[in-house]
Amino acid sequence: VQSTEFSSTIEIPDYVVKYMPMVSMDQRQSYKNDFNAEYDEYRLLHARVENITRRFTQLDAKCRKLAPGTKEYQKVQEEVLKEYKKMKQHSPNYHEEKQRCEYLHNKLAHIKRLIADFDQRRAQAWS
Amino acid sequence: PVEGAGDANCVDEILKEMTQLWPPPLTAIHTPCKTEPSKFPFPTKDPHPFPS
Repeated sequence: VQSTEFSSTIEIPDYVVKYMPMVSMDQRQSYKNDFNAEYDEYRLLHARVENITRRFTQLDAKCRKLAPGTKEYQKVQEEVLKEYKKMKQHSPNYHEEKQRCEYLHNKLAHIKRLIADFDQRRAQAWS
Repeated sequence: PVEGAGDANCVDEILKEMTQLWPPPLTAIHTPCKTEPSKFPFPTKDPHPFPS
C-alpha cells in the first residue's frame, strides 16, 4: 500500500484555481450563471450514463442468480455482449462522455459548495 | 474498453466496467437554498423560492 500523501504532486483541477471563495453578490451571481450554463449538459450526460449503467447492472444481477454452465446463464452472457456492442454503436464516445460528466460533476459540486458557504457566511453575519 | 470475442472473461470484464457505481445527479442551485434560515434578509429575484 502506497502512502496517501500526494500534496506535492497532486494535480489541482482548473476549476479550483478559477473559482475561489466568493466575496460579493455579483461574484455569486456570476458563479451561479457559470453553474447554470453547464448544468443542462451535465444532466444530459448524467442521464445517459445512468441509463446504460442501470441496464448492465440489471444484467449483472441476472447473471448472479444463475448457475454458470446452464443454458439460461449462457443466454444472459450473450445478452451482455449484445448490449455492449449496441452501446458501442449508439454511443461510440461513451467513455469520453462519462469522463466529461465526472469532471462536470466535480466542477459544479465545487461551485455549488462555494455558493452554499458564501450564503452561510452572509446569513451568520446578519443574525 | 473491452475488446474481443464472447468468452466468459470478456463478459466479466464488461460487467465489471459497466456496473461501476454512478452517483445520483447534483441538484440545481436554488435561491435561497433550503438549508438557509428562513429569516435570510436578502430579497430574492426568484418569486418562487422553491421548485414547483
